Amino acid sequence: MRRRHVCPCGGTKSMRSKIAHGEQINGWLFVMPALALLGIFLVYPILWSLWISLQVGKGSNLHFGGFANILRLFGDKVFLHALTNTCVFFVVQVPIMILLALVFAVMLNDAKLWGRGIFRTAIFLPCVTSLVAYSALFRSMFESDGVVNNGLMALHLIAEPIQWLTDPFWAKVMIILAITWRWTGYNMIFYLAALQNIDQSIYEAARIDGIPARARFFRLTIPLLKPVILFTSIISTIGTLQLFDEVNNITQGGPGDATLTLSLYIYNLTFQFMPSFGYSATVSYVIVVLVAILSFLQFLIARDKK
Amino acid sequence: MKKLSTRWGSAFGCLVIGAGMMASASASELTVWCWDPDFNVPAMQDAAARYTKLHPDVKITVNNIAQNDIKQKLQTQLLANVTDGLPDIVLIQDDNAQRFLQGFPAAFEPLSDAIDLKKFAPYKVAAATYNGKSYSVPFDSGVTGLFYRSDYLAAAGYKPADLQDITWDQLIKIGKDVKAKTGHDFFDLDFNEAGLVRAMMQSAGKWFFTADGQLDIIDNAPLKAALETYSKLWKADIVKPVSGWSAYTGAFTSGDVAAVASGAWMTGTIKGSPDQSGKWGVAPLPKLDGIEGATHYSNWGGSSWYVFSSSKQKTTATDFLNTVWAGDIDFYQGILINQGAVGSLLAAREGAAYKASDPFFGGAPVWENFSNWLGQIPSVDYGTFTQEVNSAIQAQLPSIAKGGSVDEALKAINDRVSQQIQ
Repeated sequence: MRRRHVCPCGGTKSMRSKIAHGEQINGWLFVMPALALLGIFLVYPILWSLWISLQVGKGSNLHFGGFANILRLFGDKVFLHALTNTCVFFVVQVPIMILLALVFAVMLNDAKLWGRGIFRTAIFLPCVTSLVAYSALFRSMFESDGVVNNGLMALHLIAEPIQWLTDPFWAKVMIILAITWRWTGYNMIFYLAALQNIDQSIYEAARIDGIPARARFFRLTIPLLKPVILFTSIISTIGTLQLFDEVNNITQGGPGDATLTLSLYIYNLTFQFMPSFGYSATVSYVIVVLVAILSFLQFLIARDKK
Repeated sequence: MKKLSTRWGSAFGCLVIGAGMMASASASELTVWCWDPDFNVPAMQDAAARYTKLHPDVKITVNNIAQNDIKQKLQTQLLANVTDGLPDIVLIQDDNAQRFLQGFPAAFEPLSDAIDLKKFAPYKVAAATYNGKSYSVPFDSGVTGLFYRSDYLAAAGYKPADLQDITWDQLIKIGKDVKAKTGHDFFDLDFNEAGLVRAMMQSAGKWFFTADGQLDIIDNAPLKAALETYSKLWKADIVKPVSGWSAYTGAFTSGDVAAVASGAWMTGTIKGSPDQSGKWGVAPLPKLDGIEGATHYSNWGGSSWYVFSSSKQKTTATDFLNTVWAGDIDFYQGILINQGAVGSLLAAREGAAYKASDPFFGGAPVWENFSNWLGQIPSVDYGTFTQEVNSAIQAQLPSIAKGGSVDEALKAINDRVSQQIQ
């Protein structure tokens, strides 16, 4: 917000700086309420949780423990298990979802497609459903005698019901299916918006040069969408790292911790077990660090080679 | 003049506040938090109605809040040292009690001085005793029983007497016969619920800890036997896997599976299908095989009432619990008939309702049975870290069900919990 060097009012230098000074103060006064709220509800809790993460003890009997919680992380098999599960979720789910969203966006961007408004709405609609409500619905659909198994059996695709909720492998698959259903439309909207910003003449020129559709997609659309793809993969990664509602409501982390995520583990440490607030704060910082590292890596990979 | 008016103002203010305090002292209001609108909530409402009949100036509000939400609210508020908005009385499940009593030592009011707790089943009082004082008025007993479909068993050629005084191995054989004859699985089990394992273990008088609070997993013979029995149940192919409470209860209330081992509080759920009247029976829990001190009696769930020491109405709250929950035998007959709540007040067993037989269970004196078993439940110390061990056991259940080694599972449970409780 630097002021222009030439002041249109044309006063003396001291007058200008006085006005500038006054505007500075006014400006700060205007942003002060917002800053104060941010300070109280964002900065303070972050710093406080950092302080708590250095405390050890049970319940309200907390005392300073230095790096004890960080050391505890390395010996904690449940934490490692939750971390592995979380990584499996985002390594498998994010690419599938990004690709699906991209394909849907390109298909629905086709002006010749009949009823694309309906399709767009249909694919975006899952995003407006409540997380808990859709989890409850998925849970009942994927029960061993639920709609999904009955449907697959009626089509003779499977001989006996798949144990979606009670088999460790299928439970993971089921969670991935659920979050893909919920979030693909959300990412698709970003791609649709970006696609509409691409100049159609580029495609026209490519068509005149005889470039096939597939090459136009890979050589034109994807490079032009790169910033948006980067953005969506970062927010999806962050979202998956924080995965909680679905696993808590569909599988409760089970069967046998097969779908336990870091966020669910933090919840368990805080509310299910003998409360260990220091340690759960430390685990939450692990998520923060992971998000920071992964976002940095994604920026690095997608950086323009200039 | 100005000064005078302020002085008058403050005097008037004092008067108003004073009057307000007097008003609140004469008409006191109690708030209670508990869960389950079919069980705890109506029982508490009934108790409240009985007390307000004696003390019309007391108003008691019973809030229905899910158990997990209660745990969460307590934990966050007590940790933050904020007592505003906490109720006067709260219901806490017994195996969770020590966690709160030890984690937040000053939050609850000791009741053992004001109320004669000898009137209750000793194992219930022990669960809420910390540092020589007991903090709760015991409510329902989770005395276990084996609820079974007598018509399915009859189809396989078994009579109710065949379920008396048997071991788990014998039960598994019966289960196999039932499945062969009727096509119904015998049990349904959820990997996110280790209650059956806990109940089997407690039936032999053991819990996860030694007397001095040390973790006791590897050499815990009853726990090992319980896990082995769990494994055998799956191996016998008589278990339907389910996930979640509604699927779990749905399997036996719909007639899909033949039996369920559970606490007496399950009676209400089972009797929720009146069309199955006469088709159910209740037997004591089978005994663990080859374990010294194994009995047919155990506990699953069950909870007790606690008074917050921050409550402004401590005396009224304590008096309420003492008058109704620790004294009104007639009240216990009512909640037994209406909610199927087997209270742990020992004198309540002498009431008429406990002697009655229930046509739903083929005319058997189920309540008398339950209350007889109740007195024989081995008392154990639930300790502070039951949730941790429970969660570690749950993590092993899928592999045990697939036939994995029980010794390895015990080792994994032990490693995980010793890491967690440091």
